[in-house]
Amino acid sequence: MVVGGGIGGIQAALDLADSGFYVYLVEKSSSIGGRMSQLDKTFPTNDCSMCILSPKLVECGRHLNIEILTLSEIGSITGEEGNFQVRLVQQPRYIDMSKCIACGTCAEKCPRKVADEYNMGLVNRRAAYIRYPQAVPLKYLIDKERCIYFEKGKCRACEKFCPADAVDFDQGERQITIDVGGIILASGFEPYSPALSDTYQYGRFPNVVTSLEFERILSASGPYQGHLVRPSDEREPKKIAWIQCVGSRNVHVGDRGYCSGVCCTYAIKQAIVAKEHSAAPLDTAIFYIDIRTHGKDFEKFFNRARDEVGVRFIKSRINTILPGYDEGNLKIRYTDEGGRIVQEDFDTVVLSVGLDIPQESIHLAQKIGVELNHYHFVSTSSFEPVRTTRPGILVCGAFQGPKDIPETVMQASAAAGAASSLLSRERYALTREKEYPEEVDITGQEPRIGVFVCHCGINIGGVVNVPEVTDHASRLPHVVVAEENLFTCSEDSQVKIKEKIHEHQLNRVVVASCSVRTHEPLFQDTIREAGLNTYLFSMANIRDQDSWVHQSDKESATEKAKDLVRMAVANAAELSSLYRTKLPVTKRAVVIGGGIAGMTAALNVAGEGFEVVLVEREKELGGFATNIHRTLQGDDVGQYVAHLVEMVNQDEKIDVLTEALVADFSGTKGNFKTALVVGPSMYSRDVNHGALIIATGAAEYKPEEYLYGEHDAVTTQVGLEDMLLKEPERVKEWKNVVMIQCVGSRNDTNPNCSRVCCQQAIKNAISVKETNPDLNLFVLHRDIRTYGFAEDFYREAREMGIHFLRYREDEKPVVGQEDGRIHVTFKDLTLGREMTINPDQVILSTGVVGGDAEELANIVKVPLTSEGFFLEAHVKLRPVDTQSDGIFICGMAHSPKRIDESISQALAASARACRLLSQDSIEVGGVVARVDQELCAACLICVRACPYEVPFINEDGVSEIDISKCQGCGVCAAECPAKAITLSHFGDTQILAQIDALMEAR
Amino acid sequence: MIVAERKPIDEIIEFMRDCKKILLVGCNECVTVCYAGGKKEVEILASALKMAFMKEGKELEVEEVTLERQCDHEYLEEIRKIIDEYDAVVSLACGVGVQFMAEKYFRTPVFPGVNTLFMGVTEERGVWAERCQGCGKCILGETAGICPVSRCAKRLLNGPCGGSTKGKCEINKELDCAWQLIIDRLKELGMLEDYEKLIPIKDWSTERAGGPRKVVREDLKQ
Amino acid sequence: MRLTYPDSIRIIRLPCTGKVDVILMMEAFRKGADGVYVVGCLEGECHYLTGNLRAKKKVEYTKKLLDEIGVGGERLEMYNIAASDGPRFAEVAKEMHEKIKALGPSPIRGALQNKEAA
Repeated sequence: MVVGGGIGGIQAALDLADSGFYVYLVEKSSSIGGRMSQLDKTFPTNDCSMCILSPKLVECGRHLNIEILTLSEIGSITGEEGNFQVRLVQQPRYIDMSKCIACGTCAEKCPRKVADEYNMGLVNRRAAYIRYPQAVPLKYLIDKERCIYFEKGKCRACEKFCPADAVDFDQGERQITIDVGGIILASGFEPYSPALSDTYQYGRFPNVVTSLEFERILSASGPYQGHLVRPSDEREPKKIAWIQCVGSRNVHVGDRGYCSGVCCTYAIKQAIVAKEHSAAPLDTAIFYIDIRTHGKDFEKFFNRARDEVGVRFIKSRINTILPGYDEGNLKIRYTDEGGRIVQEDFDTVVLSVGLDIPQESIHLAQKIGVELNHYHFVSTSSFEPVRTTRPGILVCGAFQGPKDIPETVMQASAAAGAASSLLSRERYALTREKEYPEEVDITGQEPRIGVFVCHCGINIGGVVNVPEVTDHASRLPHVVVAEENLFTCSEDSQVKIKEKIHEHQLNRVVVASCSVRTHEPLFQDTIREAGLNTYLFSMANIRDQDSWVHQSDKESATEKAKDLVRMAVANAAELSSLYRTKLPVTKRAVVIGGGIAGMTAALNVAGEGFEVVLVEREKELGGFATNIHRTLQGDDVGQYVAHLVEMVNQDEKIDVLTEALVADFSGTKGNFKTALVVGPSMYSRDVNHGALIIATGAAEYKPEEYLYGEHDAVTTQVGLEDMLLKEPERVKEWKNVVMIQCVGSRNDTNPNCSRVCCQQAIKNAISVKETNPDLNLFVLHRDIRTYGFAEDFYREAREMGIHFLRYREDEKPVVGQEDGRIHVTFKDLTLGREMTINPDQVILSTGVVGGDAEELANIVKVPLTSEGFFLEAHVKLRPVDTQSDGIFICGMAHSPKRIDESISQALAASARACRLLSQDSIEVGGVVARVDQELCAACLICVRACPYEVPFINEDGVSEIDISKCQGCGVCAAECPAKAITLSHFGDTQILAQIDALMEAR
Repeated sequence: MIVAERKPIDEIIEFMRDCKKILLVGCNECVTVCYAGGKKEVEILASALKMAFMKEGKELEVEEVTLERQCDHEYLEEIRKIIDEYDAVVSLACGVGVQFMAEKYFRTPVFPGVNTLFMGVTEERGVWAERCQGCGKCILGETAGICPVSRCAKRLLNGPCGGSTKGKCEINKELDCAWQLIIDRLKELGMLEDYEKLIPIKDWSTERAGGPRKVVREDLKQ
Repeated sequence: MRLTYPDSIRIIRLPCTGKVDVILMMEAFRKGADGVYVVGCLEGECHYLTGNLRAKKKVEYTKKLLDEIGVGGERLEMYNIAASDGPRFAEVAKEMHEKIKALGPSPIRGALQNKEAA
């Protein structure tokens, strides 16, 4: 059972359901989607949040092995790990889900208007409503608290007008008891309410909005249809301010002491997006304490906002907001970097509110006996980041600690992995299998094409004249029916597409909407459910390739949409059914890298019942963590690593190969073959396996600056940690110590933040100060990035009298020496003058740089980022997958991270790998190259051209391509001089048809 | 295989100057393998010719067919029914195919689409090199499997000339001296004494000097 | 990223630029395209290993062919852009658009239009 239907719960449910478990997804509200469904864009790629979430919602909604229970909360949990009895309390919807057709008549006829929570109360909805258009399940409900009938005993307009007779006022609260083996808590966060504090005048001035309200303002599906206006007078703002750390990093009454971790980056995102939305030049200012862009590529995002987009960043904590000079404006007083007091008027002020735990979650935890920490987040340990204090109950997402979407998704997969290893013996005991109707044989039929043109809310419809495009489509050859949809990806649209297929005996379908990358699988599945082969589908991207990029010229965007639709229709007419065949899966994983991440992944995969070959380059297991003695929280890392090594060595299912290197890699997901060179004797060994997990870690930056390596008194944090353990008496002699942050990070060669160094510095600073309370300790930094609960330690460090002093990127401190004595000169930004310290020791907080992974990356064909970290398939929703199916990444190989985060990601990678290994077979074929052996001249060109060495000349003397190995790139087809090879689905016929269709209008 | 290369399009256009409708005929043998006249090249040439004519404001109808071989009657017969529809035929086969086509379809102008070069090998992807000149009297048994007739610029039969330097030919510094190769290989085979052996003068009458040649197998002949 | 780029561009999707063939580029011009460009992964980063390098050579070959028949090889280009680099994609689109605009309509399109008129 997964509790909470946000992105974390959805991911955990999908992972478990795909790994052979039946999942109950329990959601308190009327639909899944959670907070992510309310966001406009996601950082740092500025992907449309709903667009990437929606396919997951639909996948969840239509998954045979996920049962979504909405309007439900946990009453009680009895039993124990492996055998829980959960009593659920389900509130009535007052609408019969089996009858509701989501036509919206009830909402239209409902006379009661109430504030719409989905839009943060900025607009009204009716008492009969759905939360948002893409909601899953797409079924209306009646808000009992606000319904006139429930208040006054009469009205029932919805019941009268409902064409499906679905309204049922007699429904009552239901108690459901369900037996489950494991429980994952994913109930998420709620935005901190600034109404708790009078500082920000929230609720008093309408143009002071929270960041989540601002997301709705920016959103195309929001109260102003994506037009950037302010609430008071719906005027376009010219100046917007963001105030950071509202409700975070503060220990006053009502505030929260932790750092919410996400607000800096989302404020930057909002500022960039706001500037893009604004017709007139928009001034944006972000008032911050420290900018905390510690995620993968976030620092580059910050740099872009500051240097290219022109977002102003002002380091100042704001404590008063006053009415401005003009009506509705707001005045902010702040101290600028030069120490002057400045007053500035803004049209709108956005409060970057933190992540808070809702009261219901606190009650739930108390009720079910799960311990919370002092901030009411679920308590977990550094080494078991998804286990709660009650065995069998796991946690993921923001309920465990503030985190962003990819961290949540990662942790959700991790919790799924931990749950499935608990229950691995019951795999497939309760799951159901999807049965598709028998496929219609369309050979010999004339094409009958149905075209569905999407408005995508206003994403497309606001720019492209959708009715005109639909009309154009309806006149094209072979087109039998052309229709428009508000959201073609919504569940009701899938039903409609299926109906149209049956009604018009369609044998090909075209959808003109968004990107094939995100939505093609959904539509393909829909047509398959209607009995069509999945390949009889073609898509025109009239959003990403049209309405989004040609916003200013609606006419020409409409013309382009027509062209794209015409091309897709021409393509569709040439498509034919393709078939896939099943191949068995080799139930073994290879894990490369024997650090904490690799060992954790190996143990979890083995725990789920699969064999693992663990490959380590060095003589010993342990990886980089052998340099770290304890965590910030004080947990003993050395002991834990030793424990892991022992577990790995004892596990019968894990085969450990040290001093081993990958020499070659081939095959496809489910059936890989890795050639290894092992041991001092370099013997070679081939391993057949179904999945690959890369956990090769990263490297510590070796400084060339600040006299490192030239003077004994200059060391790194790792060096200091060693010293603290082995020669504390040395530390006791120090009088002055300087730590310098961001050494080898946040610069031109390594633009990203290394994420862990601030915490490492504070951990060691506290330790130094405890060892020698009398010394002066100066931490020279650019921003202190103690996100999450680590903020407590930053506070503790300041309380201990450790001095934190900022320096600017262009005024780095200078470390010099005179007569063997070291001195550090830097510019103090508060005093505005140069200072010099003569420390006994200088400690450099060195960054994390990509490990030398280039060779491995080339062998396994997974790209690296420009900083040398492995690139994930999607930064938000596929953080442990790679572009190559069956290959997963975790730990520092992905990006710098803390031990608990590495463990989380390792569990996630193992869960994703086990999801694949738990399948008995996978399907191959589809888009692959096929040889017409009649035409083949056996010229060998394909044999030579194929990058994967797939084609060969067979016994009959003609070329043959093994479809299970073919990757579908089409190189052979492009080179074949006899035109004997065709890449199915992307053949010359299909491409030339598109060219013809495109050009015929000219 | 017989190695050919695409003719410059200008030359082909010149052949077509007064045509309205032509047939491009590819060959699925040697010229396919050496990327000069297979189905793919036919397609590209058709597209190029059409464009070249369009640009001049003229129209050229081009149809395409690729035969299994153009050096056999039966395959050439496949186009008999349609041949009269065209003002001309461009054959992308080697010179053999072009001629055989012209012999067969006497009334239709037949033009070559490729320049036929030699009998050779694919040294590597995209590189073809000469290995045989069809002299009619193979001496490879005496020359360590390396043919001085086709690979020595001077067709010398009695060892390298004075121009052979550092194993390269004096005509072309990129070219290996065939005799150097022969000597190296004989050495490798431990047969260097064969190099000293006297062999009878080569009978050149089987070469083209004796006029066009013919092979007759009575046992197969009808 | 929704970066604006000229609306003269239509995209045909292929699994890899390795599938790009001379005939496809030739036919696009024959049907009246004023310019054609092939966009592949960065060199050395082809998802299918070497497809983009094959494409580069085919583009070079086709440019020569286009020169031979007087359409002009400069109307055809190959670009390598990282999948994540939206700004570069928009920049290239602008660059190509400006270049083709400066060259004017292709002679083939002119001929097609004359034919239509007649």
